[in-house]
Amino acid sequence: MASLTTSALLAVAATTCGCSNLQGLGGAVPPLASIQVEVTGDLAAVRPPDDPGTPDLHVALVWGDQWLVEPLCILPPESADAATVIAAGCRDPFGFVPARVDANVAVTIGEPATIDLFALPAADVLVGDLTARVGYGSLVIYDDRDGNGTLTLARPNRPNSTTGGPPMMDPTPTTQPDLVYGASFGSMTAPDVRLAYREGVFVQTAFYPRAGCGDPPPAYSVLAAGGFSASDAIAATLAGMLPQEDPASCTQAAPDASTISIALAPPAGVSEVACTERNADSSVRYREPDTDMPDFTNRVSACVHVPTFGAPSDVIELVVSGRSDDACKGLTHYILKGCRESPDCGTPDWDHSTAPPLWWPC
Amino acid sequence: MFSRRAILPGAGHTAPVRLGLVVAVIALGASPAHADDRLLGDDTFAVTAPGAMQLDAGLVLGLPAALPTGISTGIGGGIEHVCGCHLAYGARVSYARATESSTAWTVTHGDLRVRATGSLRTDAGRGTLALRLGLGTTVVHEDRVRNQGMRAGLSGADLETTATDALPAADLEAVVALRVVGAWTMVISGGPTATWYDSHLRGGWTAELGVAWHP
Repeated sequence: MASLTTSALLAVAATTCGCSNLQGLGGAVPPLASIQVEVTGDLAAVRPPDDPGTPDLHVALVWGDQWLVEPLCILPPESADAATVIAAGCRDPFGFVPARVDANVAVTIGEPATIDLFALPAADVLVGDLTARVGYGSLVIYDDRDGNGTLTLARPNRPNSTTGGPPMMDPTPTTQPDLVYGASFGSMTAPDVRLAYREGVFVQTAFYPRAGCGDPPPAYSVLAAGGFSASDAIAATLAGMLPQEDPASCTQAAPDASTISIALAPPAGVSEVACTERNADSSVRYREPDTDMPDFTNRVSACVHVPTFGAPSDVIELVVSGRSDDACKGLTHYILKGCRESPDCGTPDWDHSTAPPLWWPC
Repeated sequence: MFSRRAILPGAGHTAPVRLGLVVAVIALGASPAHADDRLLGDDTFAVTAPGAMQLDAGLVLGLPAALPTGISTGIGGGIEHVCGCHLAYGARVSYARATESSTAWTVTHGDLRVRATGSLRTDAGRGTLALRLGLGTTVVHEDRVRNQGMRAGLSGADLETTATDALPAADLEAVVALRVVGAWTMVISGGPTATWYDSHLRGGWTAELGVAWHP
């Protein structure tokens, strides 16, 4: 009878209460992390004069790619022509390279905005193994001119070719419809504020290093560093070390404990943060020269020795920059004899060394 | 048509085999399985007359009371008093759990069902058929864990929440009982359930397989 009484009392209580607090699989989903962002500056002062329409500013969280610059872009140029091509076709060797756009949210200048993250970064944007891996993200301010609600990433625009390798399967566009106006993390040679996500222990690597600062805490965190100079980075690399950050410039905080302030900047100086790279390991894909001259309009070119980090090469290649109006910088490499992967591949896939195309300038 | 060798045991065997057969026959004759001491006798499955009270317990499964999907599994039991030939009343308790996931959540519901029951029943040989109505409450304890929350560094209520609620509920079960031996009975029951949850009447089902015992 006691159980009957208890049952009855509970039933009555539940009926009269009418206040079910069960949620099951429904209910609001709290974000895994929230980031506070504020955009500062005068948009009119940095906006290109030929940009039509009303700006639709957004901020995107973009996870960084692990990328190494190709040798030609980091070694001293061998000629003035080579320097011109490098200037036109090489991106900042220490710049932030995007891997994937995560979350996007509309922002208003001077008003804080919140980016809620509902999913962890995918494993392919984390560097390291399961016991120690980390990912870094940059917050990018952009004008969503194509209206798709997300930052569009672009890739370098290389010359068309009829014999230059397999067909391009990458769906990434070569044009950039969105205008980038700033990023919290644009280059390692400038002060940056980045979102970090860490799993396991932290191992300092050359993946956007911040040696001299403390290890990022587990899970999400907002990190800041003052940056290092390119010369310091090269000197440290030659010594087998990582360039050091000034510890006084280093901060770290929980994502919701600070507001990341991003200043508007002219798109020309920051648009590279939306440019992807095809090869992340500094390797070069070579092309076989076409019989007919490719369209090199608005591009600069130079004949250079194939650059290596070791002994100098005797092989001469033609390097061609992207067009002057391209959104993303890039180089295209032509060699008379060799393979896609290397000029020195044993049995070459093509050999025009005895009969170069008529347009071949080298 | 038939030879003698074919029908007499041991007729075609060698001497050692014949000796073995004789020993086996003697041994069997001296074993406990003698006609008077058989393991299965006429009274082996004799049942005692059911009393007025009956206790039962068994395995329970059914739809969770407040989860939109999944199967709850657990245990349950009850007590029943038979008053007259066709009526019985009693109380039942069961506890079953179910864990289901969505993109964001992994939710575990533990359903404690407490019922006052009344039955219409009839005996048929060793069996009993009954239609049992149960009224009471289902106390649901909910545990929700935010998927990936631990990897993201969440803690406390951001990572996991719990809640408990008592929901009015009713069951209508068909019960089939078969007295097996002595005072023991095998019981199978099942049928629809109704739970008042979130201002709606939510249907479901429950089933139980168990054993009962009467003093």
